Amino acid sequence: MPASPERRRPVGLLLVAVPVLLVLWLVIWPIISAVITTIWLRTPEGTQFSLETYRFFFSDGYSLSNLSVTLWTTGVCAILLLVICLPIALYLRFSDSKVAAYVQGLAIFPMFVPSIILSFALIRVLGPNGTVDLLLNAISLPKIRSPYLTPWGPVIGLVWDNIPLTVLILLSGLGNVSNQSIEAARDVGAGRFALLWHIILPRITNSILVAISFAVLGIFSAFTLPYILGPAAPEMMGPFMQRTFRDLYDPTSAITQAVVTFGFCIVFGLFYVRSVAKNRTP
Amino acid sequence: MKRRTFMISAAGAAAGMAVLPRMSFAAEGTIDWYTSSDQNILDFWTNVVKPAFEAANPGTTLNLVDGGDNAGLQSIAERGLAAMSSNADPQADFFEGFDSRQPVGALEQGLWVDFEQAGLSNYSKLNPLGIDIPTNLPYRGSQVLLAYDTTKLDPANAPKTWPDLMAWIKANPGQFIYNRPNKGGSGLNFVRRAVLEANGQDLSKFTVDNATPENTAAMLPAAWEILKDIAPSLFDQGAYTSGNTQSLQLLGQAAVTMIPAWSDQVLKAIEQGVLPETTGLVQLQDLGLPGGFSRITILSNGVNKDAAIKLADFVLSEEIQSAVLTELGGFPGVSWDYVASDLRERFADIIPSSIPVFPSGPWEVAINDGWYRTVAPNVDPAS
Repeated sequence: MPASPERRRPVGLLLVAVPVLLVLWLVIWPIISAVITTIWLRTPEGTQFSLETYRFFFSDGYSLSNLSVTLWTTGVCAILLLVICLPIALYLRFSDSKVAAYVQGLAIFPMFVPSIILSFALIRVLGPNGTVDLLLNAISLPKIRSPYLTPWGPVIGLVWDNIPLTVLILLSGLGNVSNQSIEAARDVGAGRFALLWHIILPRITNSILVAISFAVLGIFSAFTLPYILGPAAPEMMGPFMQRTFRDLYDPTSAITQAVVTFGFCIVFGLFYVRSVAKNRTP
Repeated sequence: MKRRTFMISAAGAAAGMAVLPRMSFAAEGTIDWYTSSDQNILDFWTNVVKPAFEAANPGTTLNLVDGGDNAGLQSIAERGLAAMSSNADPQADFFEGFDSRQPVGALEQGLWVDFEQAGLSNYSKLNPLGIDIPTNLPYRGSQVLLAYDTTKLDPANAPKTWPDLMAWIKANPGQFIYNRPNKGGSGLNFVRRAVLEANGQDLSKFTVDNATPENTAAMLPAAWEILKDIAPSLFDQGAYTSGNTQSLQLLGQAAVTMIPAWSDQVLKAIEQGVLPETTGLVQLQDLGLPGGFSRITILSNGVNKDAAIKLADFVLSEEIQSAVLTELGGFPGVSWDYVASDLRERFADIIPSSIPVFPSGPWEVAINDGWYRTVAPNVDPAS
């Protein structure tokens, strides 16, 4: 006999309570406390309301250039990820060949490589006089200008690092595209491009949004790769926050930078929440 | 189907590893020791200090743990600070290569043992140059040198003074690189040498407590001009590596001809074949690149605090201090009078009697911030 709605409700709420409380405790409360720390500043006369740290951040050319390089890196990475991962995901979804399994293995592989190891490997491979230079040299081609220590260094590393998650999310979205709909479209004469544009893409927009949101959230505050592979300045927000906190001993400014970073990330977080909510509504 | 099974098992294994139990409690008589230094220092402790100390103190063992870098030790120190307010066990006793000014608030709350009060029998032997605050115990020093590729630069032509070095960098664009001053002492001490040059090579102008905003504003900008002047002639028109190791790597890949490097680290790298035999070393003769002292800090709330203090005292003994010279290629933390006389004679020519030691603390913050804001943005982000 099914339980009546009245009796089921408290159990459901209890089940949800644990994750909700965890999120409140570990995520929401630190955010609130961070915002409070940056607007109620400690002065010799006691704590005072002040927007000084934000005024400093948004009037300081150095901070702003760090923010803009972070936005640039995130944007470029997101575009590159989509361009690289969508074809891989499409191939994996629609190919029945044995090779597909190896391609999938390769696409997932970066997930198991820690970023610090990846950084040093990239210096060896793409760095000056690295493997790529040696290969080019062997076939009498000129040396490349190494991306190491330029803004492109972290872009290459971050894209490589984020391929697995993006491919997996896109692949799960492609699971919603039924073979019948593809065949039906083919029967009425749809070409490859028409198939992609009219049948496949509309069904996976949600997945694309989710994949990009996840990638952007990770990249925006990335630390190791921008730190080791990127230029000294401008630096991305991750290394900037860490340096302000640990080397300049200035927690208030570091928290201000964190709140600003959070402000940008929440936009993409909302994208994600919206698409999940849209999926849930019947 | 195979693919899916693989994915499921891989995800399961990853999740399983994340929740593996990591609980542990500090054991009585086992000193939990953490370092922020490189592998050569950990090897030194493993092969020299640990056996000697354990032989001299039966029942006490050393648990040597590589804490990674400064950030790694800082998070353990934060755990110690949190443990202090809750009277819990910090599971850490002894830090090698850490500054007790971190984390913020630790000094005020008394997280660190004050070595002036701790009753070390060897405390009076310390080299006065190395002492800054009583919660930092300087036990070894090392110096920054210039390491270069002798196949590209004849040792006879290696720069011997600061003006020579500047002239060489400009004459050989792209062949020199130093690391960011906040990550790695080789770059930091190169920057400090520029600061000294801009202030008449006068070390006495810099003390631990005179880094006032007026002083830093008056004394640092001239140094930034020197560094900005050479920036376009550096590797990749003004790139800076993110650490000592990364600089050594570029020298090893023959991407640059000369770098500043820690004496002990570069000697070890040559010995292990990371750098070729043809690597040359040179020190500036007008005023050497500054060196620094590595400090010991001890948590005042560690379970083995007394044993840790005994270890700190032991490290200052003649036996270990001599080993710092012979095994590590570093300088003793004690005054030279307290090193075996034969060693004193042997190293007299190689090691200058005075190592320029630049004060840390607020000067470091001022240099770090000023360098990032003034010198580093020389890199054109669009390039």
